[in-house]
Amino acid sequence: MLKTDKSLEEMSKQQVVNYLNETVKPEEGVIPVYLLGDQKVYDIEHEKVFLKTWVFVGHESEVPNKGDFMTRDLAGYSLIITRDAEGEIRAFYNMCTHRGMKLCRADKGNKSLFTCPYHGFNFKNTGELVGVPLQKDIYGGTLDRSEMGLHKVKLESYKGLLFGTWNEDAEPLEEFLGDIKWYLDLLVGRAEMEVIGVPQRFVVNSNWKVGSDNFAGDSYHTMVTHGSIAKLGMVPNATYSKRGFQIHMDNGHGLNLGTPNPDFAFPEELKDEFKSNLTEEQYEVLSNLKNMIGNVFPNLSFLISHTKIKDQFISNTSIRMWRPIGHNKMEVIAWMLVEKNASQDWKDRSRDSFILTFSPSGIFEQDDTEVFTDITEAAQGPMPFLKNLTYNYTMGLHRDPVDFIGPGIAYDDKFTEASQRNFYKYWLELMTK
Amino acid sequence: MNVEKMLLICEFEQWLYDEAQLLDDIEFDDWFDLMHTSLRYQMPVRVNKEGVERPDYSTDMFTFNDDIELLKLRVDRLKTDYAWAEIPPSRTRRFVSNVRVKDFVEGEKAVVKSYLLIYRSRSTDIQHDLISGERNDEFIFEEGKWKLSKRIFIVDQTTINTRNLAIFV
Repeated sequence: MLKTDKSLEEMSKQQVVNYLNETVKPEEGVIPVYLLGDQKVYDIEHEKVFLKTWVFVGHESEVPNKGDFMTRDLAGYSLIITRDAEGEIRAFYNMCTHRGMKLCRADKGNKSLFTCPYHGFNFKNTGELVGVPLQKDIYGGTLDRSEMGLHKVKLESYKGLLFGTWNEDAEPLEEFLGDIKWYLDLLVGRAEMEVIGVPQRFVVNSNWKVGSDNFAGDSYHTMVTHGSIAKLGMVPNATYSKRGFQIHMDNGHGLNLGTPNPDFAFPEELKDEFKSNLTEEQYEVLSNLKNMIGNVFPNLSFLISHTKIKDQFISNTSIRMWRPIGHNKMEVIAWMLVEKNASQDWKDRSRDSFILTFSPSGIFEQDDTEVFTDITEAAQGPMPFLKNLTYNYTMGLHRDPVDFIGPGIAYDDKFTEASQRNFYKYWLELMTK
Repeated sequence: MNVEKMLLICEFEQWLYDEAQLLDDIEFDDWFDLMHTSLRYQMPVRVNKEGVERPDYSTDMFTFNDDIELLKLRVDRLKTDYAWAEIPPSRTRRFVSNVRVKDFVEGEKAVVKSYLLIYRSRSTDIQHDLISGERNDEFIFEEGKWKLSKRIFIVDQTTINTRNLAIFV
């Protein structure tokens, strides 16, 4: 292993980047432990990953009506996302252009005008500055309001999923998503989908990458971490999670697709809607889908889960963001989605299965957060760096990809670490760019 | 306040204290026995709203939304060898206060509000988590005992500052 006389603390930013380049070896399955515990790595990540890529900010159905707004986070900065009188959705930096006060401090609501609590500057939900108290008197008519609109944030949607970026030169969202769009169609494009209620939010003392890594490709942990589920009869057996495919693609995206499923996991009465929204190949996968767990780089994870509750199978669809708060802390924000045209009974049962399994009280979720927390704690401080501790990501290196009906590089069961290697490969590419 | 009312408050205070003790002592089966079969156990997600717009919680998304059957599943899960979230069990201390009896029909039903503060410590952590909120409870009198038939816990945080709710509120 590489030795260095300097600690990460003592290195310049460029030296840290060089050191990453020498020690992170995704293709060999070698990932250093310090990546999860170091403040400097975290700071570089903020700049080179979160300020550069597209980051998920919400779903269109959360602002269904004209005048609806919500506040969201984009790489540590607050956004106001609005739907104007014409129905257009926009995003703005939640900062008054006069003196920088946060304009809006509610999570959501409906109004077309935002008033700054500091000096009362008024902005329309289209971003224009429309009112300044005593303007003529105090500025003598010299204030150019047209120059003082809210800072607009680049926002694009894919099938209702809203992504924002601070990077003016970012490639179009669809290009960034690439092959994972095919699978996102199964998630949010199969029918008209809507978010139920508001997202769940809770804090876990974990580095965000543990969450992304887990959803990108770790079905292996299901047997043990979620062993209670098989005991309770919610899934048939402990190795249930092995069958299916693991698929990864460019830009660090990856997923695990569980199949086959003797039962149809979605509302039967919407089969025509599904067929009209999906290609034949996609519908074939959907018809056989047991579950789907994946990660859109960097930190948007998604899940279709199918379990037996009260002797009845029911699926639930959710997305979640691992919002970094520090190198050892993240806010988990989890949205539950359902087919808008499903029956109220389906919606209610699907919601309750989400709450029971993957909300903060969820009996799957609970055990994950325990693992995430301890992994992160073990990575803190200078020791893992000094001792060159690494994780082993070599599972499946000996295997060859198989043909799969959808795009991406696929393996014919879920127990491999190809997706995680691919996640870190793209992460390293961005970090060292 | 008359003596009758004081005794009534005292009765429900004792019920809630006993319940707190069972949960803190990890006596989940005995705790479960306090529940009425018609139970609805809810914890809505709290939302920051503009001004005084109410309710400032979601009416259709919950952190808990259990009936008696789902609550039983949670209790049973905690008894498997794989309930890592509570291995070792959290050390919790529930502080119940501000108990107010809002509605009462002797030998039939009662509506009781109270405040709840949960201290939670995990394993060797020296950090602790605090969960604070208001309970809106409904009781049904059955076989000589008050059984909890409905609980709505309105939590005070929009982002819950504890890693999960493997514990009960």
